[in-house]
Amino acid sequence: MLRRSVSLPFTFDLKSRMRLAGYILLLAPLIILLRLAYMQTFLHEEFASKAERAIYNYLAEDRLRGKILDVNGRELAESVRTHSCGVNKRYVKDKDKTIDFLAQTLDIPKSRIMEKWNRAGNFFFVAKKIKPDNYIKISKILRTPLGEGLELTPEYERIHPYGYSALDVIGAANSKNLGLSGVEQMFNRELSQDISRKRAKRARRGEIIYDRKLKEELSVANVYLTIDEVAQYYAETALKKAVEDVGAERGAALVQEPSTGKILAAASYPVKDGQSMAFQFAYEPGSTFKTISVASALDAGVISVTDSIDMEGRQWTVARGVTLRDKQHDKDFLSVPEVLQLSSNIGAGKIAVELGAKNLFYYIKSFGFGTKTDVNFNGESKGNVPPYNTWTKVDLASKGYGYGVLLTPIQLIGAYSAVANGGTLMQPHLVDRIEYAGGKVEKLSKPVKIRRVIQPETSQAMIKVLQSVVEVGSGKRAKIKGYNVAGKTGTAEKLGKDGYGKRQHVVSFCGFVPATNPQFTILVVLDNPSKYTFGGTAAAPVFKEIAEHLLALKGVKPDQLDFE
Amino acid sequence: MRVLGVVILLALFSFGIVVMRIEINRSGRAISQAQNEVEIKEARNQYLKLEILRLSSPENISRLAQEKLGLVPVKPHEVVVLDQPK
Repeated sequence: MLRRSVSLPFTFDLKSRMRLAGYILLLAPLIILLRLAYMQTFLHEEFASKAERAIYNYLAEDRLRGKILDVNGRELAESVRTHSCGVNKRYVKDKDKTIDFLAQTLDIPKSRIMEKWNRAGNFFFVAKKIKPDNYIKISKILRTPLGEGLELTPEYERIHPYGYSALDVIGAANSKNLGLSGVEQMFNRELSQDISRKRAKRARRGEIIYDRKLKEELSVANVYLTIDEVAQYYAETALKKAVEDVGAERGAALVQEPSTGKILAAASYPVKDGQSMAFQFAYEPGSTFKTISVASALDAGVISVTDSIDMEGRQWTVARGVTLRDKQHDKDFLSVPEVLQLSSNIGAGKIAVELGAKNLFYYIKSFGFGTKTDVNFNGESKGNVPPYNTWTKVDLASKGYGYGVLLTPIQLIGAYSAVANGGTLMQPHLVDRIEYAGGKVEKLSKPVKIRRVIQPETSQAMIKVLQSVVEVGSGKRAKIKGYNVAGKTGTAEKLGKDGYGKRQHVVSFCGFVPATNPQFTILVVLDNPSKYTFGGTAAAPVFKEIAEHLLALKGVKPDQLDFE
Repeated sequence: MRVLGVVILLALFSFGIVVMRIEINRSGRAISQAQNEVEIKEARNQYLKLEILRLSSPENISRLAQEKLGLVPVKPHEVVVLDQPK
């Protein structure tokens, strides 16, 4: 008999079912475990950096930023702790009462709060950076039924106690605590703190709980400028008045200490944060540049102070088709001091031609034109000095009286300071010192001599010549009772689409005082006045006003003996 | 008897825990209130400090000196500078 092997049919008994259910139940945790292991091992970096970024973001908003102060420790920019007021709709007990209270306290129309309420999901900010008085009012009711659902989130706000004063130099920092312009940007690393790798947690009510290590390192550095807030105020006030009086588009006033290169005041008007004309405004200077060409020629020995220059009947044909005219005087010959006193373009042009393109170029570069300063102000212009081998005779002559070169106020004031201090170009300083946490102080304004530009004898000769410009020449309005003032006026036509135009010009005055022992070099530039005016009439009085205040402020003794 | 002892002990223990919780809550509230007061004082202090800075700005002092006291800026040659005693 054939025996058939018969396999038993699969019986899905209770035991098997239990086993299967067990496997299925185990599968889910197993998948989770495997996924976790994968994340921990292979995706560790990605998740760690994600978490770090999230922490950093709110830390960046909350953390303190260092102060920016003037040379005497007056706070020009500081971070103050403010709060933002938010509403957690879910926890609000009485909507109408809460909205009434907020509208009244924060002085916001009820309709605006209602609008936010209706638009938001659960949470919305009613007001950011609320005033301390309002913070006090809200925090007092926070634990009462009226305050339920209200939240006060701490954050820091950048405050400028002196308003717009020096804001062009200070610059701005954004709500993420990042310096965007000016000193805020230049010293962002010192003013803020690199905490991206540090850890911190935020507690339920908003406050940050730092790692022990981070809390110890929390202090930030304070940056002290060389600017004296009082000097800055005087410069700003005088500049604003002048800009408005002559209807200028904008203006700049700078004060430098010639012996050290320290900038005591750097005013721009209108004021825009981080936009300082001192560093960013490049212009053709016109006659204030004659000082440079004359000093260069004197230093090179090409001319001497006693030389007379033929005015060619006050019509000098520089090249075919190009004639220079002096309309401001009727002399056939001018001495070197007279060239500056009367601001003769023919005289300065002839001196430049006598000096030669290569030599003039060397001196111009040596005075620091065409090169950025070491201040490193963001957006600083280096100006423009074309290479001398491209100059024609007309170019050379015109550079002698300040056309065909672009320079910045910081470069020009530095050059005048070199003339004033005996012939040495000093490195300009805008920041005096940095005070780190723990008391360490880094001095940044030690006088640094860049190079000798002219000999001390040339400097002395130029000081006398520039003094005569103020005493008997175009700079009479810069005279100060009791003090010898040296300086030079400038009125330059601006290059437009159709060439140089009479309607658009830059007027300026640059000088130093007291001439016998210079303490302040001051430059005033007014761009594009709507009224037709000159450096001697519009800018020289501003120089005088600023200089008078500074001399009185610093108690500088008069250098004239019989001035009564 | 032993059971009763255990029950009393447990009751005392529970009572202790309750008292402790109440005390913790009370202290927590006091700390929180004190913290709030510190924050208010700090905010007020900061506000006043800023007010001082604003009021002591050269612009404000010049304006007040001219408007209230009729003072005018001194000319530099009118300033008498005394030599420092040697």
